[in-house]
Amino acid sequence: MAAAVRIGSGAGVSPVIGSAADIVREIAKGARSAASVLAETKAQIHARNPDLNCFTATTFERAEREAAAIDALQARGAPLPPLAGVPYAVKNLFDIEGMVTLAGAKVNASNAPAAADATIVARMRRAGAVLVGALNMEELAYGFVTENPHYGTTRNPHDLTRGAGGSSGGSAAAVGAGMVPISLGSDTSGSIRVPASLCGVFGLKPTYGRLPRSGTFPFVNSFDHVGPFGRSVSDLALSYDAMQGPDRLDPACAQRPLEPVATASALPPGIRIGILGGWFHEWADPTARRAVQLVAGALGATDWTELKGAEAARAAAYIITGAEGGALHRPRLIERYEEFGPASRARLVAGSLIPASWVVQAQRIRQQVYREAMELFENFDLLLAAAAPVVAPRVGQETLVINNRNIPTKAGLGVLTQPISCIGLPVCTVPVWPGIDEPPHEKELPIGVQLIGAPWREDLCLGAARTLEQAGVAYCVGQP
Amino acid sequence: MTQSSDNPLEAYVRAALALQGYRFDERQIAEIVEQFSRLETIAHTVMQWPLPFASEAAPVFRP
Repeated sequence: MAAAVRIGSGAGVSPVIGSAADIVREIAKGARSAASVLAETKAQIHARNPDLNCFTATTFERAEREAAAIDALQARGAPLPPLAGVPYAVKNLFDIEGMVTLAGAKVNASNAPAAADATIVARMRRAGAVLVGALNMEELAYGFVTENPHYGTTRNPHDLTRGAGGSSGGSAAAVGAGMVPISLGSDTSGSIRVPASLCGVFGLKPTYGRLPRSGTFPFVNSFDHVGPFGRSVSDLALSYDAMQGPDRLDPACAQRPLEPVATASALPPGIRIGILGGWFHEWADPTARRAVQLVAGALGATDWTELKGAEAARAAAYIITGAEGGALHRPRLIERYEEFGPASRARLVAGSLIPASWVVQAQRIRQQVYREAMELFENFDLLLAAAAPVVAPRVGQETLVINNRNIPTKAGLGVLTQPISCIGLPVCTVPVWPGIDEPPHEKELPIGVQLIGAPWREDLCLGAARTLEQAGVAYCVGQP
Repeated sequence: MTQSSDNPLEAYVRAALALQGYRFDERQIAEIVEQFSRLETIAHTVMQWPLPFASEAAPVFRP
């Protein structure tokens, strides 16, 4: 087990690689080569990954070919694609051509290798990005921590005694530690937003159906989203734009035209921003509330509002998740139960037993709460809420205490994200460092705030994130 | 463990497991009963939430 080394204030984060935007610019000028960026990335991974356990596999041979292709384009003066030479990694539920897609599960290890890249991995490749590896996750994406029984725990880059969150823990921690500027993850009930919050990085969960999920190992078709992590809003926007576009292989993917955001500026004047109270306030501890207040102050938001169906939406999402996840895995639960991890197998079986009337009622609630949210968006353009109820808990911590109420850690970390993903709204999570009167070492721990938009308004979510970044309220530690 | 006849939830789980083709030992069944109990607690919120009679489920299929 790694020593309990605390890494705070960016002391352990060494972004020698730089931002994606900087890498693209410098390669275009000839100041750096894609090969040299890759070499630096590999060194960073070798240095940091043993303590953090972010990667389950590296793809360095592929990366070298991709980097060489970029350098060849640059050498002959050809136009470079928008992410030329940018190293990135993906949660190991994305298909990578020639590799087995694990989705964090031993029961998948004997599957055939993927025949092709997932759609958005292929789009990243066409954009010139350089794939360096596959990242650890919670088994089958069923949880808000990454304490994987088969592939180990992913630790928090700011404090090795704490977790990275989940289920995209490896994706968030790799970016938080400066190993890669961009990674890809998935979010069913909070699995981008929670680890982004705990690891102090930016994360984007787009509108449900915005980015295609084709070529990803599924969990809950009703809720699965995919999206990027980054160390800056620019990097998030660059990668998001590279991945946009319809894909008929994903039945939930909206057939919408591309709506680029990377060149957009900060929020236009007159944007109406509401602070979500009720459920989102009750289940946020003082640090999380402080983070929301810092963001609200920087955005000039003073009006509170409430999504009254939040508790019902969270419960509905819980039931739908149990039913769809259980049904998906039922045949293999019958034949290969012991190959599933102990924290997930009984849950999955139980989910497969859920009566149909519960699921139908849950889907009806989902539609009703969606309508309630649309009524809120008649008065507001953006809504604010904490992305996690607490800062990163210790690895193995069983219970969270939130405002004198106990809740199991593994389910409780998603209490503020699950109601929002239930109704498919776009969210950018921004890293904030509240530092209020906590034990000294907790002052240097981040917590995320959700910037929640109306459907298809990722531009406003990212615009608000830019405003916060420019104001110095939202940032990753160790920025170059 | 109580007799499943005294515990409708456990009786339901045992019957549903059999109906769906699962075969588990008593320790495994106990774990599944515990997990289903948690789901049932959450389901109370769902099933008691007031909805208009004709409210539709969130749409999925788009021919």
